[in-house]
Amino acid sequence: MSNALAAEHEDIRLSLPLEYQKQILRDVRTEDGLVILARGLGLPRIISNLLHSYDRPGNLVVLLGAHSREEDWIGESMASIASATDVATKGLQILNTELTGVEKREKLYAQGGMFSITSRILVTDLLTKLLDPVKITGIVIIRAERVVATSTEAFILRIFRQNNKVGFIKAFSDNPEPFTTGFSPLSNMMRHLFLRKVYLWPRYRLEVAKSLENRRAEVIELEVNITESMRDIQNAILECIEVCLAELKRSNSQVDFEEWNIESALQSGFEASIRRVLDPVWHRVSKKTRQIVSDLTTLQQILHYLLTYDSVSFNKVLDAILATNTPAPGSTRQNHSPWLFLDAANIIFSTAKRRIFGSLENKTETLSNQISESEGLEELPKWSMLAEVIDEIEHELHFNPPSPDSANNTILLMCSDGRTCRQVRQFLQNMQPTENGKPANAKTMMRRKLKAYREWKPNFVKIKDQLFRHEESTVKQGIHGHQNYDHRGKPPPNKRRRVRGGGTIAAASSTHPINIRNTAICMEDGEATRLDDFLGNDDIVAKEEVAVDLLEHIEDFFELYDYDELVVILPYDGDMDDRALEELRPRFIVMYEPEPSFIRRVEVYRSSHQNRSLRVYYMYYGSSVEEQRYLSAVRREKDAFTRLIREKGNMAIVLTQDGASMDDPQNIFLRTINTRIAGGGRITAASEPPRVCVDLREFRSSLPSLLHGRNLTIVPCMLTVGDYIISPTMCIERKSVKDLISSFRDGRLYTQCETMLLHYKTPLLLIEFDQNKTDKKPFADMTSSIGSTDLQTKLVLLTLAFPRIKIIWSSSPYATAEIFEELKKNHDEPNPVKAVSIGLEEGEEPTNSYNQAPQDFLRSMPAISSKNYKNLMLEVENLRTLSNMSQRQIQNIVGLEAGRAVYKFLNKDFRGLS
Amino acid sequence: RLNNPGGSNNILVNPRQVRKGNRILDHIRNVPWEYDSELQSDFVVGTTTCALFLSLKYHRLHPEYVYNRIQALGKLYNLRILLVRVDIDNHTDSIRDLTKTSIINNLTIILAWTDAEAGRYLETFKSYEMAQPTLIMEKQAPDYASRIIDTLTSVRSVNKADALSLISNFGSLRNAMNAIPEEILMIGGWGQQKVDRFTQTIEAPFVIRN
Repeated sequence: MSNALAAEHEDIRLSLPLEYQKQILRDVRTEDGLVILARGLGLPRIISNLLHSYDRPGNLVVLLGAHSREEDWIGESMASIASATDVATKGLQILNTELTGVEKREKLYAQGGMFSITSRILVTDLLTKLLDPVKITGIVIIRAERVVATSTEAFILRIFRQNNKVGFIKAFSDNPEPFTTGFSPLSNMMRHLFLRKVYLWPRYRLEVAKSLENRRAEVIELEVNITESMRDIQNAILECIEVCLAELKRSNSQVDFEEWNIESALQSGFEASIRRVLDPVWHRVSKKTRQIVSDLTTLQQILHYLLTYDSVSFNKVLDAILATNTPAPGSTRQNHSPWLFLDAANIIFSTAKRRIFGSLENKTETLSNQISESEGLEELPKWSMLAEVIDEIEHELHFNPPSPDSANNTILLMCSDGRTCRQVRQFLQNMQPTENGKPANAKTMMRRKLKAYREWKPNFVKIKDQLFRHEESTVKQGIHGHQNYDHRGKPPPNKRRRVRGGGTIAAASSTHPINIRNTAICMEDGEATRLDDFLGNDDIVAKEEVAVDLLEHIEDFFELYDYDELVVILPYDGDMDDRALEELRPRFIVMYEPEPSFIRRVEVYRSSHQNRSLRVYYMYYGSSVEEQRYLSAVRREKDAFTRLIREKGNMAIVLTQDGASMDDPQNIFLRTINTRIAGGGRITAASEPPRVCVDLREFRSSLPSLLHGRNLTIVPCMLTVGDYIISPTMCIERKSVKDLISSFRDGRLYTQCETMLLHYKTPLLLIEFDQNKTDKKPFADMTSSIGSTDLQTKLVLLTLAFPRIKIIWSSSPYATAEIFEELKKNHDEPNPVKAVSIGLEEGEEPTNSYNQAPQDFLRSMPAISSKNYKNLMLEVENLRTLSNMSQRQIQNIVGLEAGRAVYKFLNKDFRGLS
Repeated sequence: RLNNPGGSNNILVNPRQVRKGNRILDHIRNVPWEYDSELQSDFVVGTTTCALFLSLKYHRLHPEYVYNRIQALGKLYNLRILLVRVDIDNHTDSIRDLTKTSIINNLTIILAWTDAEAGRYLETFKSYEMAQPTLIMEKQAPDYASRIIDTLTSVRSVNKADALSLISNFGSLRNAMNAIPEEILMIGGWGQQKVDRFTQTIEAPFVIRN
C-alpha cells in the first residue's frame, strides 16, 4: 500500500478516456479491492494503466489469470502508454514454462518489474522460494471469479499473505454471474481474495451511463425472419431437448434439476452445469443418463449450427451425427440416443434434406440435378440482408461522402466465430448481386457446396462403415481385425475436397484485415466464375483456388491496403475486440450476430472518440433461439449485479458487527489458520517441519493447497513414480473417481502400481471422491449382474494382482489432507532429491517435464506402451514431426514391431480401402 | 484357505456372521457359499484371499472389536480384505483411523455403501479368483480403425462425431495432423476452440525443457 500511495504522487499519464474508467482506477489504487465490471466496458485498458502506474524500479508486481493473447495486448498497450511518458519502465514480462527455464526465471525475478505468470508456475516458484513472496510489491488478478477455496489462485494468495503483510492485492472480474450462483457467493470469494472492499460497476450505474450515453452511435436494428423449414427444424430440436430434459429428470430423481428448463438449455454453459450437478454421482449414473447428457450437448450444437451453417453443411453435420449414433447390427435399442427415435428427430433430418434437394416427393437424391430454382438449396436469410446492407453503405459512400474525420470508410463485419466469418466472406465473394429487384443470392456457392457434398458422401459412408463396423467386430474377434493396410501406394479414388486457404481471417491472425473487395474484383474478371452455373465444371474450383491463394500469402506482398477500401470480417473475441476497433477505426459496423458485450464495446469506443462517426447495423433472426439467447444473457448479467448489490449491502453489516478483527485481512487469515491448527492438533516443535513431495502435475488439483493449509511443507518435484511421497517408504497415487475409471480403461493404473511396487515399500492408491458427493450410494450401478466392465470388478482385479497395494478411500480433498497427516506421524520425512531420482532411467534428466495433452494423444495410439512412449517423447519434437517420420525412423526408436504399427496407424488412408 | 490348497468352489462363511444376522449374506446370489466354523476371518473368497467384515455403526460402538479380530487373524492369507460397510453419515474420522490400521496390519480396505454392494464384492473376489489381470493392463493390439477414434477423442472436447468427420475429410491421421487450422475449421462441428486444442496438441513439444 505504501508503494501505491507513493506512486500516486508521481506524474502518471493515464490513457483512460472515460470518466468512469478513471474512477475505477483511482478507487482501486487508493484501496485494495475487488472490481466487478460489466462485460465490454474496457477492463484490459484499466489493467494496463494500473500496471503501468506501478511499473517503477524496485517494484515487482504479478499479474495473474491473463490468457496469452491478453498478456500480449496488455503488454503492448503498457508499452504504448510508456512511450508517451519519459518515465523509465520495464514493461510486462510474460512467463510460462515452455519458454523460460528455472534459472532464467530466477534472474528475471531478481531484476523485478511487471510479470504475467501462469498460476501453476507461480505457485511452485513461491513454494520453492525461487520467487520470495516478501519481494512481491503486489498481485493483480484478472478473472477473479475463479478464485474459489480450492483453486490454485487462492493457494497463491494464501502463501503471499502468509509471508507478506504489506503487498497489495487487486482483483478484477468482468463476469458477475459466478459470484451469485453455485457455491461461491461474494463474501466467500472476498475471504479467499483477502479483500474486504468490493467495487461494483454494472452497465446501468450512473457514472457509466453518463459516460456512454452523451453521444450515442447510430444503430440500425435489422430483424431477419428465418425460413419456414428452419423454423420447423428449430421447433423439432427444441422438442427433442425438452424430451431429453424430462427423461433426465425422471431417471435421476435423487438429483436436483429444478432450475433447468428449456430456456436454460439454450445457454452456452448448460452442458457444464449439468456435468457439475451430475459429476459427484457420475460413476453411478446409468449409461442412459450419460447418453442423454451427451445428446443434449449435441442437440444444443445443432441448434446453433441451424442458424449459422449453410443448408448443405448443416446436413453434413447431421449425417455425421446420424452415423455415429446408428445402432450396430444386433445391438439393442437401449444403447442409442433416445431422441433419434422421436418423430421430431425425423422432422429434423427430413427437413434438413428438403432444404437442399427441394421437396422429396418425386425426386431422389440421384435425380437432384434438376433441382428447381424456387425450392432446394436454401440460403441463409441473413445473406441477402447482408448484401443489401453493404450495398446501402456503398451507395451512401458514393453519393454522399461523409465529412472527413478520423474514421476510415472500413466496413467491419462481426460474426460469432471464424467459421461464420469464412462463410460470410465466401458469400460476399461469390454472390450474384442484386439485379432487377431480385435480391442477391448465392446460387453458385451453394451449388459448389452441393457438388463437394456429393463427392464427400460416398467416402464418408465407406469410412463410417470401416470405423464403426470394425470397432464392433474387433470386440467379437479380439485383436488383429484388418490385415490389408497396404493401400498406401494407391491414390485415393476421389480427389480430396479442397479446402485450402482463405483462413487468414480465422482466429490466430484475427487482427489482419483482409481485403475482400479486391478479391471480389479479381473474381469478377473471370466471367466464367459467375456465369458458370453448371455443377461438375472443374473450372469453378480452380478459379476459386487462384483467388484464394492470393489471400493466403497476403503477408508476402507487403502491400498496404487502404482501409477505406476494406470489408474486414472478424469473429467476436472478448476484450480483443476493443483492440480491433481501435486499430481499424471503422465508420460502419455490421453485427452479423448479436453479442451483448460487443454493443458495449462499441459504446465505449464511440464515447472515447468523439470525433469519429459510426453507424452500426445489427442483425438477428427474429423469434429464434438466437434472439432468445441474447435476451436472456443480458437479463442474467443484470440480475447478477442486482443480487451482488444486495449482498454487498448485507456484507457491510457483517463486517461492522465483527469489528476490528474482520477489518483487517491479515486477521481473517490468521483466524483461518488457527482453526486449522485446532483441527490438525499438532504443534510444530519437531526438529523438522513435516514435509510432502508433490508431483508438479498435481498442482492442478486442490490437494496441495489443502495440505499447505494444514501446515505441511510442500515440496514441488517432478516425480516419475507416484503423485505424493509422504515418507521415505510411502508413495501415493491419487485418483479421482473419473481418473480411476479412465486409468483402468487404458491400463495406466496397472503400470503405475507395478512401478510403485518396484520402488516403495508401502505403495498406496488414493481414491478421492468429490467433496460434494452425496454418500450412501453404491459405488457402481448395481442393476446388472457381475460384469467385466464394472468399476468394482476392476478394483477387485487390481487388489488380486497387487495384494501389497493398499487403498486409501477419501470423501474429499479435505479428508485426504487429514489422512496424509495421520499417516505421516512417526515416520521420517521424505527426501525430495531421492524421490525425484526414483524411477528414472539411467542418465535421464530429472528436469524434463512433459506436456500432458500430446502425451495423452500419443499414449492412446496402438503399440505405444508405458515402456516405449518416453523414448518417443525424448527423441521426437512433437506429434506432427512424428506423423511425418518414415517407418524406419520410428522403428529406430521403438523397435520393429511397434514402429511398423505406429507408422501404419498414422499413414493408413481410410478412403483408400474399399 | 492356506491349509486347503485345493480350495473350495464356494465362498466360506464364518457362522458368526449368521449369528450376528449379517444381511449381506442375502446378497451373495451368483456364487454359492457354505459355513466353515474354523475360519479366523469372516469370509474366505479364494485360496489366498480372506475378508473381515466391519460395519461402521458397530465399529463406533465397539472400537476394539476390529483390532481383536485383526490380531486373531495373525499373518494368515496373502490378500486380506477389510470390507467396510459404510452405514453412518459421519464416517471420515473412522475411515481415517481404519486406513492407518490397515496399512500397519497389511489389510486392503474396500468400502461398500450398501449390503448389496458388499455382497457383490465378495462374489466378484470369488469369481475372479483365478482371473488374469489382462482386463486392466495396457493394451498392445494394433487394431487401427477403432483406435483412431480413441486417439482423436483423447483431445479435450473432441467427440466421436468430430473424429469421424475429421478422418472422413482428410483420410489419414497423418493428413489430419498436417492440416492447417483453417482447413479443419471448415469441417462441420469443428469450432475454433476445438481446432485450437487439436492444433496445440499436435504442435506442442512433448518435452518442456527447463
